Amino acid sequence: MKIERKRIFRLMLILPFLFGTLAVNAQSDYTGKSAATRTYAITNASIVQSPGAVMEGGTIIVKNGLISAVGKNVSIPDDAEVLDGTGMYVYAGFIDGMSNVGTKRPKAMPRPSNLFTPDPPNDYAGITPEIHVVDQIDISSSTISDMRKAGFTIAHTVPYGRMLPGSGALIFLADKDHPDDLILAENVAMFSQFVGAPGAYPGNILGIMAKWRNLYRNADNAMKHTIMYSENPSGLERPNRDRTLEAFFPVVAGEKPVFFNVQNMLDVRRAMRLQKDLGFKIAVANVKQGWEMAEELKQNGATVFLSMDLPDEPKESKSEDKTEEVKQLEARKMDFYKKYVSQAATYQAAGVPFGFSTMGTRGNKVKTNMMTMIENGLSADDALAALTTGPASLLGIDKVAGTAEVGKLGNLVVTTGPYFEKKSQVKYVFVDGDKYDYEIKEAKKKGDEAVDEPAADTSNEPLLGSWSYNFTTPQGDQGGKMIIKKAGALYTGVMTSDDGSPDTDMEDISFRDGTLSFSFSVDGGGQNIEILVSGTVSGKNYDAQASVEAFNVSFDLTATKDDGN
Amino acid sequence: MKKNIYIIGFFILVATIANAQVQKGDVLIKNGTVLTITNGTLENTDVLIQKGKITKVGKNLRIPNDVMTVDATGKFVMPGILDAHSHIAGSAINEGTAQVTAEVSMEDVVNPLDVAIYRALAGGVTTTHLMHGSANVIGGQNETMKLRYGSTNPDDLRFEGAPRTIKFALGENPTRGGRSRGIQPQSRMGVEAMLRNSFSDAKIYRTTWDAYRANKSTRKVAPEYDLRMETLVDILEGEVLVHCHSYRADEIYMLMKVFSDFGIEKLTFQHANEAFKVAPELAAFGASASVFADWWAYKLEVYYSTAYNAAILTKNGVTTSINSDSGELIRHLFHEAAKTQKYGDLTDNEALALITLNPAKQLGIDNRVGSIEVGKDGDIAIFDGHPLSTYAIPQMTYIDGIKYFDRATDKSDQRLYINPEETIQEVSIFDRESQHRCMEDAQTLSFSDLFSNKK
Repeated sequence: MKIERKRIFRLMLILPFLFGTLAVNAQSDYTGKSAATRTYAITNASIVQSPGAVMEGGTIIVKNGLISAVGKNVSIPDDAEVLDGTGMYVYAGFIDGMSNVGTKRPKAMPRPSNLFTPDPPNDYAGITPEIHVVDQIDISSSTISDMRKAGFTIAHTVPYGRMLPGSGALIFLADKDHPDDLILAENVAMFSQFVGAPGAYPGNILGIMAKWRNLYRNADNAMKHTIMYSENPSGLERPNRDRTLEAFFPVVAGEKPVFFNVQNMLDVRRAMRLQKDLGFKIAVANVKQGWEMAEELKQNGATVFLSMDLPDEPKESKSEDKTEEVKQLEARKMDFYKKYVSQAATYQAAGVPFGFSTMGTRGNKVKTNMMTMIENGLSADDALAALTTGPASLLGIDKVAGTAEVGKLGNLVVTTGPYFEKKSQVKYVFVDGDKYDYEIKEAKKKGDEAVDEPAADTSNEPLLGSWSYNFTTPQGDQGGKMIIKKAGALYTGVMTSDDGSPDTDMEDISFRDGTLSFSFSVDGGGQNIEILVSGTVSGKNYDAQASVEAFNVSFDLTATKDDGN
Repeated sequence: MKKNIYIIGFFILVATIANAQVQKGDVLIKNGTVLTITNGTLENTDVLIQKGKITKVGKNLRIPNDVMTVDATGKFVMPGILDAHSHIAGSAINEGTAQVTAEVSMEDVVNPLDVAIYRALAGGVTTTHLMHGSANVIGGQNETMKLRYGSTNPDDLRFEGAPRTIKFALGENPTRGGRSRGIQPQSRMGVEAMLRNSFSDAKIYRTTWDAYRANKSTRKVAPEYDLRMETLVDILEGEVLVHCHSYRADEIYMLMKVFSDFGIEKLTFQHANEAFKVAPELAAFGASASVFADWWAYKLEVYYSTAYNAAILTKNGVTTSINSDSGELIRHLFHEAAKTQKYGDLTDNEALALITLNPAKQLGIDNRVGSIEVGKDGDIAIFDGHPLSTYAIPQMTYIDGIKYFDRATDKSDQRLYINPEETIQEVSIFDRESQHRCMEDAQTLSFSDLFSNKK
């Protein structure tokens, strides 16, 4: 990532100045939101400068976006807002290795009329590596504040999409007025995942693997052609512009890594197959099931970001007359639960540097899940390293982030006690030198769970049960229930209608990586009209696009899972 | 094709990895009734396997140092069973969105965690041919595998050194896909046209690349690379064996004509329920057939069928095998083979060859497996009775001299990976149709739709 690093440094030189100037000039801010000062002093705190290096009774100064001093006898600047850090712990701000934080899901491209399924347009196929996530950043996204509250200050955010959604960027998890203000570095990696196009090529992992190889090899040839032409165009065929292949050039040149969203073990191996076959720089991210892969990934020099998301602990049946077989099956489930929650410890033991990806994790689960990993063998220092120094160096920003040292970005997390203790709470988060203050909740009388968490969704099958849907059409809204069941490995479902129309079956239901798609048919005056629905399930909400191929139109379909199932 | 460096490099790399990790064992199987397939039945005979290969077959062999001995007195020792048509252990089966997908390969989607692998081992099966589905006229490349259950690395299941094979499909399945998507082929005529067009395109592609390679200029520009065409060229060059899903005699005959025109020789018809009608023609072409013992009538093109199919083909000199195409049937292929004795009076040896040596020939690996001979791989199934008897039960299954199944130490839960969030499943009586994955991810039209004029 040499080139990227240089670019980051250039940005680093400019950004603090820019923000500093803005803050000073904004004296007549009618909203009253501007901070009175951008100089802060946290005094008499335990400062964890880097994992394992704690300074007791220290003072840390953040000035104009940077950490300007750390020590026991630091003079406090006159313009500083002084925060009494007695009893508090200060850490470098956390860094998220790969997620969709701050990114808005673009409207799904409607199914083109007369779609030629063997060779759909690239944007329908999900092959858009030329897209930059910066164009999809939503400064008002609640994910930014949600993850910041958990201690994250920088995220490597990637675009939504299918096989090759585009390039990721490193963003500050800050409140700003314009997406540009969030950018630490753009175009840091190409993002890829094994998600096929609905009913068009490549439709699944088979086609995706082949398409990947085909694109890469053509990009390799196109790059050679382009270079040759730029050196001397005389008498040489003019290379055709192809933005998709051009997006591969820095990858082929070994300057830009490819980040794969690969949760399960076989998908990790498939990403590694492509890497071995083609030879690009690789990062495997959002890995949930990679406990056997540590040694191999280490040998191949892959960058690793483990998933922050963990399975729910299995509950044993309370029945008293459990058979021996049921007991054994339960024991094996527990065995595998342990493999998931000790994955990070396995990587630590194997000496593989890693960070975390928060994809699919909510802010309020970050600490709980980190604590679970620590209970299962990860040391607190390594846990901190995986949130700070690890990702900083894996993302090539260790010169500016990852530790609470002089000269680094003013990215800090300040907690009421050691972060990896159950009762501690986040009091302040500093992002890019700006302070975010959080209210401390009093411990409840009963129990020692200090942080009030909404009940986690513990159902094993997030899809199963009854959902209330709303379908917006030009003729008005239509509502009803979607009832989804599972028979063997297959989902089945029925849609009922509030207006008394007969029930329709949901067909071709597929659910993968949070994306639910299905189709259903309606009777349009004697003509059978097929409607394709595809969208994302997050918790109890389903947000989808329904498209009618016959008329080349699409509508919004949203659904909420009914309580009590 | 004058070689694609990437592909060669890739195969060498993969082969190296596989060779480095695959275990090879030593074992002496003593005093069994050895069904050699190529050398008759040998009573009270020992089979010695060393470093994964059969090194001796004979009576009262001396036990070399450190070699485990298995007493097979009263038991039957046969070569490990091969299934030339299987969809177990695949994470995906069809790339059903296009009608020619020669570029995709099942080797990318091998799923070593599928417990069906263990069930197949428990039926004496040691090698399967993981096939792409039948939704496309030219489907994906298949993967020949050894069922080395227990490893979670797909590379460990690779049958190292086996030739490449590819799936083709004729008749209702590919036309059903074409009709539902409004693309070619919508009829059997379209299937033939697609085949001819594809190979004609491949010849042009070959010419273009040959010209590029012959060009000595330092400033030459590479033509477009197309993995699909690369594979089709490899078929034309005879480097990829074709296994074609087919039912009717007319379409079987059609494909032989097309292949004659393009000079393609290595051809096995899969299913081929009407192959008995063109058995002499198959023999003359040198094509083989891999059929069901007695399974038919699940769609219109499969009504004209007979349980004598395998026997008629065998008597006509066609290399014939019996396959499962199912995670259930694969557990008792020896029963399926035995049916040819009821329907067609095949000899023990002929019947057993249907699930051993003949499928090995069809997969191009008969120099390695399919019979008990010195020099072949130590892939062995041990039964407590004659495998063609209804009462026989497989006892042990060896691959490369390593034991992967032993009825005596069989655990009730053989799954490799477990989802900790999954509720404990109730196991229901096996549903054969639900295991039939030929048209998975491709079923866009129902059976009744097929004959409607809606689209």
